[in-house]
Amino acid sequence: MKKKLLIVLGFVILLAGCNDRIELEQQSYVIAIGIDNTDQKGVYAFTYQIANPEVGSSAIQSGPDEPPTEIVTVNGADILTATYTANSFVSKKITLDHTRIIIASEEAARSEDFLRVIQSASRTPQIRRGVQLVISKESATDFINNNEPIMEKRPHKYYQFMLSRANQTGIIPRATLHRFFQITEGDADLFLAIYATTDQSDEKKNERGFEDQYIAGEIPQIGGSPTQFMGSAVFKEGQMIDILNGEESRIAQTLDNTLEMGDYLATIPDPLMPEYRISYEYSQKQKPSININYHKDKPTEIDVKVHFQAEIIAIPSLIGYTQNKDKQKVLEESIIQRLEEKTNTLIKKSQEEYRSDPFYWSLYIRKHFKDVKSYEKADWHKKIYPNAKINVTYYIDKLEFGKMLDDSHLDEVRD
Amino acid sequence: MVRSFKQSKKSQTPSKHKKISTSLQDNIQESKQLFSYGVNKDFAMRTIQIHFNKKDACLFYYSSIVNGPMINLHVIKPLLERSGESVNNVVSIENIEEVDNFEKIIQNINSGKIILLIDGDDTAYAMDVADFAHRNISITENENTIKGPQEAFTESLNSNISLIRKQLHNNHLINEGVQTGERSKNEVNLVYIKDLVNEDILENVRSRLEQIATDNVRNIEILEQYIEERPYSLIPTVLYTEKPDKASSYLEDGFIILLMDSSSACLIVPVTFWSFFHSPEDRYLRFFYGNFTRAIRLFCFYLTLLISASYVAISNFHSEMIPPDLLLAITASRERVPFPLIVEVLIMEIAFELIREAGLRIPNPLGPTIGIVGALILGQAAVQANIISPIIVIVAALSGLSSFALADININFTVRLMRFIFILAAGAFGMLALTGAFLLFFMYAASIKSFGIPFFSPMSPHFLSSEDTVFRKPIKKEIFRPNYLHPKDVQKKSK
Repeated sequence: MKKKLLIVLGFVILLAGCNDRIELEQQSYVIAIGIDNTDQKGVYAFTYQIANPEVGSSAIQSGPDEPPTEIVTVNGADILTATYTANSFVSKKITLDHTRIIIASEEAARSEDFLRVIQSASRTPQIRRGVQLVISKESATDFINNNEPIMEKRPHKYYQFMLSRANQTGIIPRATLHRFFQITEGDADLFLAIYATTDQSDEKKNERGFEDQYIAGEIPQIGGSPTQFMGSAVFKEGQMIDILNGEESRIAQTLDNTLEMGDYLATIPDPLMPEYRISYEYSQKQKPSININYHKDKPTEIDVKVHFQAEIIAIPSLIGYTQNKDKQKVLEESIIQRLEEKTNTLIKKSQEEYRSDPFYWSLYIRKHFKDVKSYEKADWHKKIYPNAKINVTYYIDKLEFGKMLDDSHLDEVRD
Repeated sequence: MVRSFKQSKKSQTPSKHKKISTSLQDNIQESKQLFSYGVNKDFAMRTIQIHFNKKDACLFYYSSIVNGPMINLHVIKPLLERSGESVNNVVSIENIEEVDNFEKIIQNINSGKIILLIDGDDTAYAMDVADFAHRNISITENENTIKGPQEAFTESLNSNISLIRKQLHNNHLINEGVQTGERSKNEVNLVYIKDLVNEDILENVRSRLEQIATDNVRNIEILEQYIEERPYSLIPTVLYTEKPDKASSYLEDGFIILLMDSSSACLIVPVTFWSFFHSPEDRYLRFFYGNFTRAIRLFCFYLTLLISASYVAISNFHSEMIPPDLLLAITASRERVPFPLIVEVLIMEIAFELIREAGLRIPNPLGPTIGIVGALILGQAAVQANIISPIIVIVAALSGLSSFALADININFTVRLMRFIFILAAGAFGMLALTGAFLLFFMYAASIKSFGIPFFSPMSPHFLSSEDTVFRKPIKKEIFRPNYLHPKDVQKKSK
């Protein structure tokens, strides 16, 4: 009996074991997936950027002509089945486990069917929920093909560094697929995707912009990689409706407690000499407090308090703010005033134009409802948010002036 | 067949049990025959006439295992010259035993005693003049410590007992002899502290020793396999050590030590997993230092047991778990390797075992040369020849190196063998099988008992103890002896 059992066990291992075993070198690792519309409804062009493992490996000397990536485009109905079609010219099994980003063209994202195609990404376990969603101005195929990083040749490193740094500075949001589905399914709020482009047509350059008042493609640039990540694509109910510039993206992230953002540098016109601009480092040590008073019959009140710190980096006007309390007061007020002004503009735009918020504020009203049904009936999109009375107040906790105690006195230098 | 063997054995015994006769000549004849006098070169016989009663007498001994000058000075010279009333009064040997049959004579002569037979006397006198050749006490060779006593057991029972008594000045420390073996009567010495040891366990050990029905138990290493419960189990149930300080620390806690004259080590029973995991140095080092080495050792235990298997499981079944940089590096290095990954791992693991086994047997003068060749072949050349990928060298080296942190040879083998089972399991069903195999192994280990003591006690099942398991407490806070042994006194330090 024991022997029989052992034999059966042996067969189980021999027959059932090793079934889904696959060697590492038998797979191709996709780093980026592009999604484009085609002329045919329901059929999309999928672009796969596959990493070449031999590039950048110290153990194996690769041929000098081998590119760091192989980029292939095939038509298909969904992300996964297209990989099998691609196997007619890609030699190994295409694996999506290590995908970093999914790039959709603006055209595809603005189409009504976008949700249909991106939905398959959530079904397969191969695509992680942490994959970031990037919207490109041009077609995704062009984006991937034109994207030529100069230093980080290996694509996964490039995307990793590029997205994490741009995200720290706040000019692009953190836009994971998970968040996309969470917000879309939640049927409230707006989802912000990363906006990027490799298209640098000169006439679109925004020569009058300041450090963050751009969207991708507008930043005047000399040298470097042609790809620009800046601003965010606004999604409402799974469909792209607008683009926010870098500054608006920063404000949206400031007001959103679910998103992390590092410190960033910004400028304001010098309140005493408006032709010069004062640079400061904005840093937020605590999350903003968001208070919602829900009223069934009259407009809901949303009260937001943001505490931040500012460190002055540069005062080109050479006005002695450091030594003068009154001038500091003026400066503080002008920083706050400017932030509130920009914030109110964004809120106004969202209330009137989008009729929903990109701040994920619906989280704070949910506690006012007994069940999902009554919450849905109250309707965040249509009734609550567009009519809400929103009051955002900024408080400056600390104003610092770096390590210089005093500024250069221009009249003394030039005597 | 079996019966006829038994009968032939029985037919021998009557002559052994033969009583000593009063006739010296008969006794000499009998002894000569028993010890093949004349053929057996080192069996010596000397006839003398005793001075005090003017009788003929005869001395028998093995000249190779007795102290010659001592015989001359303390046996022959007094018998020839001194006057007195009895042998006991004349001979100046510390230990004289009177025996009355030939079986005892054989036993005594074999253990290095000299037998005196006197004409007209039906008792023989056995005098202890044993002087077996043995090494001097040297420093430990296999269980090295930096801090702590360096002495090791040697192949001499008296020296070994002396080493233990040196550390435990206790009149309750008992050294009890039990005879084993049928043709060669060897003595196993049970050492324990009488007012601590649990009588049931002691009785259990005694009965196992008495049950050994074999011609010869030469040494401790053979004895270990006679007294263990599960000879087919991968998990050892007897602790083997060459360090007297380790042995005495176990004695203090109520364990039992087994010693034999022919081994430079002792056995400690019963054991738990922790006995194999601990090293005496953990206690000699200060609290944090000792626990740090414990942490390292635990990590090594994990590495040596599971790292190769985890590598196989992850890279063959769960490539999404590997960070992309590492993934691409492994992929690139594997592109020109002809074997599946699991074969690569097995090649390296077996190669490492090969170096280890061969390295152990290489004659000393050749050692370094072969070592370099082996390391070169396995490390550099195999990678350059694309037989294995470089990362495998790291994995195999890690698992091989960590296995040395488990100094006890028994547990070391357990881990080294289990490793292959885990690798095969991981190769069959990935993490699922690896987890399953580890769970089964763990459950099996928990079910093991050594002389009635569960393998993972006092952690599971929980017992009162000094809580010296994975980590230990400061020495001052160790109050209790391990209660899973049910010692007669469980408290070793007042609170």
